[in-house]
Amino acid sequence: MSAISITDLVMKFDGFTAVDRVSLNVEAGEFVTLLGPSGCGKTTLLNLISGFLQPTEGRIEIGGKGVVGVPPESRDTAMCFQSYALFPHLSVRENLIFGLRQRGASATIRKERLDEVVAQVDLGEHLAKLPNQLSGGQQQRVALGRALAVRPFVILFDEPLSNLDAKLREQVRVEIRKIQRDYGLTAIYVTHDQAEALAMSDRIFIMNRGRLEQSGRPEDIYYGPRTRFVADFVGSANILDAEVEAELGKGRWRVSTPIGALEVHCAAAPGAKVLPICWRPETAVGGAQHVNALKGDVTHRSFQGHFTDLIVDINGTQQRLQILRGDQKEGEAVDFSVAPEDITFLEPEA
Amino acid sequence: MTRPPAWKLALLLFPGLGLILIFIGAVIFMAAAQSFGYYNLLGESGFTFEFWERTVQRRAYERSVLYSLYVGLISAIVSVALAYPLALWLRKPFAGSLTVSAVLKAPLLIHGIVAAFLFLNVISFHGILNQFLVWLGIFSEPRRLQNDDNAIGLLFLQVWKNMPMALLLLTGAVQAISDDVLRAAQDLGAGAWARFRKVIAPLSVSAMQAGLIIIFIGALADFTFQTTIGPTNRQSLAQYMDWFKERARWNEAAVVGVTLMVLSLAGSVLLAAAAQMIFRGRRR
Repeated sequence: MSAISITDLVMKFDGFTAVDRVSLNVEAGEFVTLLGPSGCGKTTLLNLISGFLQPTEGRIEIGGKGVVGVPPESRDTAMCFQSYALFPHLSVRENLIFGLRQRGASATIRKERLDEVVAQVDLGEHLAKLPNQLSGGQQQRVALGRALAVRPFVILFDEPLSNLDAKLREQVRVEIRKIQRDYGLTAIYVTHDQAEALAMSDRIFIMNRGRLEQSGRPEDIYYGPRTRFVADFVGSANILDAEVEAELGKGRWRVSTPIGALEVHCAAAPGAKVLPICWRPETAVGGAQHVNALKGDVTHRSFQGHFTDLIVDINGTQQRLQILRGDQKEGEAVDFSVAPEDITFLEPEA
Repeated sequence: MTRPPAWKLALLLFPGLGLILIFIGAVIFMAAAQSFGYYNLLGESGFTFEFWERTVQRRAYERSVLYSLYVGLISAIVSVALAYPLALWLRKPFAGSLTVSAVLKAPLLIHGIVAAFLFLNVISFHGILNQFLVWLGIFSEPRRLQNDDNAIGLLFLQVWKNMPMALLLLTGAVQAISDDVLRAAQDLGAGAWARFRKVIAPLSVSAMQAGLIIIFIGALADFTFQTTIGPTNRQSLAQYMDWFKERARWNEAAVVGVTLMVLSLAGSVLLAAAAQMIFRGRRR
């Protein structure tokens, strides 16, 4: 039995469909991420799971029980908000045990859980402080501790790291993942940051215009995007319109593209004769090491530390390369190649 | 920009604040002094407890103190209690919310004496309310509704006139509470009453205190409503003060005036402290 099961969920606001017939299952102890651009419906879906919104159609089950119509206070979920949503008039201690008080936990249980959570989120010396006396990272920890203290069946995260600086964000996301694993919590995490989703998730659900576009392990999503949207949204991608010219053997194809003929090795056959293909900029290597040897002129170069980002013009088509220690200059020609296994067929477009 | 010297600031503030302080200070001083026998217009001036002793011993004094406190407290508490749900309802805009808000706040713009006579027309012997209740069959014939002994009509008018002030103060305060904070409380298991008691009220307690104090002082010292539609068997402190004044008993009128000031201050402090204690909640 799945921890969360969503079937044909629809949410409409005044004729606008925010969530369009979404179905998904989340297993117990799994950390899944809803990833997508602003307005794609991921936060609406989270609010439907938490009970802040009631769906227009469809079914939501948490722990095998239907929860449509059940108010948020009666659902066994806890949410970590983007704004932290700490109670500004209560101390850190009172924030942490707020949920336990509401659920009628005894003083002994409150103390036990408080001690446990305080140790977990490292807030021991801040218990008497008010939220506005804490840094952003500390406030985020209080929000996390407050949600953990009630030991929810499902913990929901609504872009909880978006107000933190880059360094702190990395640190807190490691902490969140560790705590989730330690407690064996089922977690649903909403973000528009693909790096965060790739780094934290057991599975990612990519959403676009209210629909689930693709789901899978982060590696599968990154290296095997199914649609132009997923390829473009998750990481950087060079997407080309291609025409399949010939099947060279089992799982080997030759395609013609605006940058020239390319060989593609792909287990699944292309879905149409004309379709988009994509390859990741970091899979390109200098020189003619692979069968797909290409040459272009560098139009833009930006040094990124651990790699060099190059925009290369090939027959009037711009392609992006990320090359280790690339010393090419703007205006110079560059030789590079892409392995046929690193090129993916995308779904044909209507 | 450098801060101007203190003397310059004081000079700039003086035309406004200075005059207010002088006028209010002078009135307070005059009333207090007069209640202790100074500024005696009809006899010899000099310090004495005579006027306090004479006034405090009067049964009418005690009754007017209790009655004014009753009107002040009930008006303040009921106005704020009614304003809260309305402020929460109007927290988020909806179709027609601006109109509803304007209609609810309209009594603020109506002068007290106009409001009192308006209400009088409604509840008078041949007024709309009597006619309506007779038409419904609830009353067999018109009844006397004005100047009722328990001051229900007066309290109704006080609440009608003062609730918009509480609403004005509370609307801003509850609008400032973030949706996420309320959702977090709900998500952690707090039902509607717990959310009000533990989040909304503590976060709007300053506005609640301001509303309680402003309405309490106004209702405690009310003269207009009391003389128009209040009970005829009781006197408010303002009415009692006026009674002494009409008889040129200025020192006793001053005793009632000082009582009114002390009760205003003490009642305000008590109401504010009670709101703080009840709703501020556990912080540490």
